[in-house]
This record gives sequence, structure tokens and C-alpha cells, in this order.
Amino acid sequence: MTKFEIIQIIAGTVGTLGFTVLFNIRSKRLVFTVLGGFLSWTLFVVFSKFMESESLNYFLVAFIMTAYAEIVAMIIKSPTTIFITTTLVPLIPGSSLYYTMANAFAENRAGFVEKGIHTLSLAAALALGIIIATAITKITKDFIRNRKEQ
Amino acid sequence: MEKLLSYAMDIGEQMLISGAEVRRVEEGIKRMCCSFGANRTDVFIITSSMVVTVFLPDGSFVTQTRRVVSTGTDQEKLHRLNHLLRQICEGKIEKENIGEELKKALSRKNYPFWLECVAYSVIAGAFTLFFGGNVAEMSVSLFAGLVVRFAILLCEKTVPSKMFSKFISCAVATFISYLAVKLNIIADADKVIIGNIMSLIPGIGLTNALRDLFSGDSIAGLLRAVEVLLTALAIAAGYFLITILGGFLI
Repeated sequence: MTKFEIIQIIAGTVGTLGFTVLFNIRSKRLVFTVLGGFLSWTLFVVFSKFMESESLNYFLVAFIMTAYAEIVAMIIKSPTTIFITTTLVPLIPGSSLYYTMANAFAENRAGFVEKGIHTLSLAAALALGIIIATAITKITKDFIRNRKEQ
Repeated sequence: MEKLLSYAMDIGEQMLISGAEVRRVEEGIKRMCCSFGANRTDVFIITSSMVVTVFLPDGSFVTQTRRVVSTGTDQEKLHRLNHLLRQICEGKIEKENIGEELKKALSRKNYPFWLECVAYSVIAGAFTLFFGGNVAEMSVSLFAGLVVRFAILLCEKTVPSKMFSKFISCAVATFISYLAVKLNIIADADKVIIGNIMSLIPGIGLTNALRDLFSGDSIAGLLRAVEVLLTALAIAAGYFLITILGGFLI
């Protein structure tokens, strides 16, 4: 791990801690959320050693962290959505979003298209990871509920 | 029954405002009405409106609607309401006490204002570092985050529109970073702006839009998605405004 990656992991975790204040997350849930923020970027850094594709990496991390959020939410009996978002905060493609915007303003077509597609592919990967993990948990939950009723 | 339904809708409305997805609220209201002894409950919810009709065993029915305004995010409130909902469904709370319990669940305080200021500041600073900024850029970011929180406060007091407050926040953050470049504190405004945008991006809205869309509530999901898109445009507009003005002033 390089020095910059360690800084990123620390900064990402601290940023997640900041978001827990904005969303009024407290007590036990705060600990799990901050741990999630730490895990999500750590996983990303570890995966990036083995994978070329950034989008695939985003997808995998989003998938794993959504599953994590769903499981934690089940254990402490709390709604899931806010957990998912806050644990995935370090993955928000804020940088490429900004450069898309800046290129649009500077009328740099090539740069706008390149950065725009980059942002979209990251966002799509993130969304896909969240959706698939959510769908799987939902199906599993329904399955367990049906088995209980029988 | 009318009173009970009204409580159920209060709980649902507050959950929606705190950032719950539509499906959860619909199921919650249905289950609550079942535990109140309804034969059949029809619930229709989108992000801005709620319609519930309850059919009672004696053949009568009750309908109530709610207009839901403003959606924020408050995990603590949502958690408490969710807990209350569970208890009502399991019959652990007497029907007479629901109003009181609801008031108790809603009366929890938020984090104090100064801590929110610190949070905005820390988020901006942390993500400036995260995206490769240096220490000088981080310091400017910390300051900008603080000012952004005050800008939001000012908007809340004067023009209570989420779009507008995002627009102003982004404009303020961009202005401060350009000013810092002008004063030779930092070489490049990019990282500071990125750090500050991170706390403005409507992440919860996007996650909720996705979850609503793919759990069958297409209308609610689309509404949320449009809202997210408009918010993103508002942020971009704030940046554009200052950059255009910057050409003349700075």
C-alpha cells in the first residue's frame, strides 16, 4: 500500500464520520457506519491490486458493502437505506463528476465526453452493485418468511 | 378508527420525511392498520403524497390523504419510528398511548448546530485530501465547509428551498476556492471545490430512487430520480455562476 492510499483510507473514514452527523446517526449504528466507510475504501484499494477495471471494482465493493449494510440493519433492526449510502460515501465519484462539469464549462467537448462517460460508468457500476445486493437480500428474506409460514 | 389511521399516517409521513423508501412506509402502514383490525387496506404513496383507505369489518371505510413536503435525512428519527411501528404491530402498545409514544419518538434532538458546522468542514477537508489535495488545500477546504454550513443556514431562514440552498452552497464554495487561488494560498481550486461538492451530492436521494425503482414503485422512484438530477444541475449552476463572474472579477 502506498502512502497516498493510506491517506485516502483515513480521509474516507473521517469523511464518513462527518456524514453520520449530517444524517443524525447515533450510538451502535454510528460505529457500524464508520466501520463500513473504512471497509469500503480498504476493499477498493485491495481489489485494485488485482483488477484493471475500475468499474468492476466499484461494482464489487458496492455489492459487498450493500450486503454488509443489509446484514447489519437486520441485526440491529433498523432501516437500511441510510447505512448503504453512508458506507459507500468514499466511492462517490465526486472528482470525475467535477471534471465533467468543468470540461462542460470550458467547452472542451472531448474532455467532457471522456469524463462524462467515466462518471456514468462508475455511477452505473455503483448502482448495479446496490441493486443486485438488495434484490438478493429481498429474495432471501421472502424465502425465509415463506418457509416459516408453511 | 379515524384517530388510529391518522396516527398511522403521521408515522408514515414522518418516516418518509426522514428518508425511508416508499415500499417500507407502504408495508408499515398496511401492517399497522391490520393490527388495528382492518379487513383490507389500500395504500398508495409517492414521495409527495399519501392516500390510504381502510375497510372495516362492519362495512364502513375511512380514507385519508396527506401532502408530504420536504425530505431530509434523519436516521435516528427513522430508527425510532421503525421501532414504534414494530411495537404497534406486535400489540405491545395500547391504542390509547400511541399518540404519546409518537410524540416521544419525534422529540429526540438532532446533533447541535456547531457539530454540524464541524461536520461540513471535516467532510470537505477529508475529501480534499482523499482526492489528492495537499495540506494548504485542505485548510482552505475546512474553512469553506464551515462557511457553506452558514450559507445553508441563511437559506433555511430566508428561502426554504433545497434546490436553492444547494445552488448557493456550491456558489459559495467555488467563490472561496477562487479567492484562495487569487490570494496565492493554493495553486489550484479544483480539489477544494471537489471536497465541498461531496457533502452536497444527494446520495441518499439516489440510493432511495434506485431502491424504489427496482422494488416496483416506479412513479416514486422516477420522482426521486428527477429530484436528484435537478439537485445535481443546481450544484453545477452554482459552479457555473461563479466561474462566469470570476472571468470578470478575479
